[in-house]
Amino acid sequence: MSDATTLLVVKDLATTFATPQGPLPAVGGVSFTLNENETLGIVGESGSGKTVLSRTIMGLQPRRNVEVSGSVLLNGFEVVGASEQAKRAIWGLEVAMVFQDPMTSLNPVMRVGKQIDEILRVRLGMDRHAAKARAIELLELVGIPSPAERYSVYPGELSGGMRQRVVIATALAGSPKLLLADEPTTGLDVTIQAQILNLLQSVKDRMSMSVVLVTHDLGVVATRTSRIIVMYAGRIVEMGSTRDVFARHRMPYTRALLEGSPKVSNPSHTRLLAIPGRPPNLLSLPRGCAFAPRCSFATDICRNERPELEPSLEDGHTFACWNPLPVSQGVPA
Amino acid sequence: MYVAEVVEEHHDRPERKRRLGILFWICVGWIGLNIIGAIFANVLPLENPLFQNYTAVNAGPSLHHLFGTDDLGRDIFARIVYGSRVSIEVSLGAMLIGFGLGAPLGMLAAYRRGKFDSILTAVMYVFLAFPAIIATIAVLSFWTPRSLLKIIIVVGIASVPLVYRVIRSATMNFASRDFVIAAKVQGATDRRILVKELLPNIAPVGVSFLLIGIATVVTLEGALAFLGLSVNPPTPSWGNMINESLSILQVNPWLAIFPSLAMCLFLLSLNFIGDRLRAHFEVSEAKL
Amino acid sequence: MLVGIVFIISVGAFYLIHLLPGDPAAVILGTGDTTENRARLFKELGLNKPILEQYFVWIKNVLRGNLGTSFISQTSVWSTIKAALPIDVEIIVLSQILAFAVAIPTAMISARKPDGPLDRLLGATSFTLLSIPSFVIIVLLVLFIAIKLGVPHTGVSSYVSLGQDWVVNLESLALPSFTLALGSFVVYYRVLRSDLIATLQEEYITMARSKGISQRRIMWRHAFRPSSVALLGTAGVNIGGLLAGGFIVQYLLSIPGLGYTLIQSIGLSDYLVVQGIVLVVSVGVILINFAFDLIINIVDPRISRE
Repeated sequence: MSDATTLLVVKDLATTFATPQGPLPAVGGVSFTLNENETLGIVGESGSGKTVLSRTIMGLQPRRNVEVSGSVLLNGFEVVGASEQAKRAIWGLEVAMVFQDPMTSLNPVMRVGKQIDEILRVRLGMDRHAAKARAIELLELVGIPSPAERYSVYPGELSGGMRQRVVIATALAGSPKLLLADEPTTGLDVTIQAQILNLLQSVKDRMSMSVVLVTHDLGVVATRTSRIIVMYAGRIVEMGSTRDVFARHRMPYTRALLEGSPKVSNPSHTRLLAIPGRPPNLLSLPRGCAFAPRCSFATDICRNERPELEPSLEDGHTFACWNPLPVSQGVPA
Repeated sequence: MYVAEVVEEHHDRPERKRRLGILFWICVGWIGLNIIGAIFANVLPLENPLFQNYTAVNAGPSLHHLFGTDDLGRDIFARIVYGSRVSIEVSLGAMLIGFGLGAPLGMLAAYRRGKFDSILTAVMYVFLAFPAIIATIAVLSFWTPRSLLKIIIVVGIASVPLVYRVIRSATMNFASRDFVIAAKVQGATDRRILVKELLPNIAPVGVSFLLIGIATVVTLEGALAFLGLSVNPPTPSWGNMINESLSILQVNPWLAIFPSLAMCLFLLSLNFIGDRLRAHFEVSEAKL
Repeated sequence: MLVGIVFIISVGAFYLIHLLPGDPAAVILGTGDTTENRARLFKELGLNKPILEQYFVWIKNVLRGNLGTSFISQTSVWSTIKAALPIDVEIIVLSQILAFAVAIPTAMISARKPDGPLDRLLGATSFTLLSIPSFVIIVLLVLFIAIKLGVPHTGVSSYVSLGQDWVVNLESLALPSFTLALGSFVVYYRVLRSDLIATLQEEYITMARSKGISQRRIMWRHAFRPSSVALLGTAGVNIGGLLAGGFIVQYLLSIPGLGYTLIQSIGLSDYLVVQGIVLVVSVGVILINFAFDLIINIVDPRISRE
């Protein structure tokens, strides 16, 4: 891993929203690196800050009432603090995003093909015919049948799965090095979900991209990522290779997440364990570990002091917990 | 946008009614002032609005004549105050008729539905298709001799289809909702439902449209005055005065400026009040 | 259904005019108004037949394209309308071009930074303009022009058609067009601004941003089209209203458009002209609404699909 080229370096990234009720720290103190051709999974419940994180990495956070601190180095380009104009230079060509809801992320009054080749015409200066040809190629790449005809349809004429493929094609048009996929399959049929994820994987290999897969669903990341970040209340609570996190996790929250996701290997009618309690209110975070109120292993120090990330046994595996689970305990993935 | 979702996920949103603001109350005060002026014009220390003083024709503003005089030597300030009577009476009167007839019909039609609703609504929509302005002008041209009452009646009746449509659609919006069904199931009489459940919900839309209506009628009086169809001279009205000012503009700009100012400030205040109330009660403009 | 509406309006117009206590005979006969003359005139004009029959005679003629001949002016109604209509059309066209040309960019400026200083200024300005009636605008403008610039105000004689002298033509129509444009601008600005603000919050705008597309392109190419539906709907209603209600401006400035002619005809009890104009205006309004519906469908394919 140390030989691979580093694509993305995130250091102490923090995103705070200014709300009428006070500052809301959606993301706090996140640091990690990503190499070329890697797939990283970012996992967490809703409200864990994972979406905000992905948008902040790209620099797509809203312009008003938001403060970002820290550093995001994308291929040497510093995203944090960059002007909108500077960021536009890398958007679409170095980094692209696949959005969550294909129903709302495509312009309903613009033809599908035009949305795909827009970046080719406007940013790369391709002429109409070359751009159209490439767009049709992309449509084929993402698995849309009759791509030449589908070039001229409106998004409303396509099904959800098809639309998401179009979104992916649009993101790929500029041949970005980094693809951020923010819950790309939520809201789609379960059968389609697998197709889309497989598509992402095959596309990644074909175009030598790195992919960051943001999701709340552990099943999604289990076989498709090489590394995982687990987030809670805006901070990383565990990070490491997928195998390590699944089999040798240390943070009780990670355990709770794993136990909560349905597994085919479980006997039928096994109860899904929901984590008791609710995600914390970021406007008034408790002192100490954010997970403490819901953690069955919580002790006094957990409630008073927030744990920092410390390394576990394996290389690159870190976690943040005062009372971590012993190394040998693991839940089979 | 997702930011709102992020923020919303993390706290319970208290229902914050937008504050009405000081400008709102200033406007309310201004309207109130106009109304008081209209009602108590007789006992206020004003010049006689009809008295023609030939020695002070087209005079500019002075201590004696606050806004100057017109081409017949009449005090403009007094005429404006008395003129507000016309604007206020016409607009309130016409709205009384319009709402008095249109609102109950609209509510009933929306609540009852069925044949009554279909026929009545069809009739109303036919009336709506006809350019009401033209009909108003036509009727007022011929129904002589003209009086304030006749103007009120004509404009009022012309506004009934509009009021009907707005109230009916507002009622239909609420009539199918759960709380109405709940009341019905509990055995409430129709009348009770109409008054207790539907009326309070329609009130914001109704009040909003009422304010718009008043503003429209005040403007209409002005337009009618230009066609010679407002109250007969020498009765002062804002419209009449602005009309009269056209021919003597070069000599006397005051007759044009002050009544225009009076009318515009009145309308501005009305519109502002309506706007603020709409924001406060969150009435969608589309419904109007 | 549209035909039905026009039909009903024609009936309404007819009956309304005839119910009114106007007296064309008095106008025509003038001093020769004696009982026999009246009787003879009525017979000549067919006014002595029962109302229903009169109506059918009229409608039959209309359907054959004959709107009748005014008994007051002895000219055919259609030629009167034909002379006056282009003026209305020109005023409407000029005012709308002006209104849109200002409303679209200002709405975009406002939407880009809602509640920013420019937005507030524009909002306050449009709100104030909203509260100023058109005749007040005219009076104040005339005051300004007449007094400050010493230009005498225009009258019937100063209007010439486009064909004759387009400079004078534009001059004479500048004032009414400008006045109507102000009113339209206010409405269009508000509607477009609010729609743009809503559209700019949509996810597909963020997606467009993420492609590195410039602000300007996003505004024009991505945000404008979905936001223009309400604007077009409003424009349709507004233009229809201008056709029917733009008379006050015409009357004040003595511009011989349809509205001006209508008012005059009412005063003269010139039934046929009034009926003809009402009919033409109603048909016009319906056609305009229809045309705008078509345009909206082209702009936003979602609508027809729903």
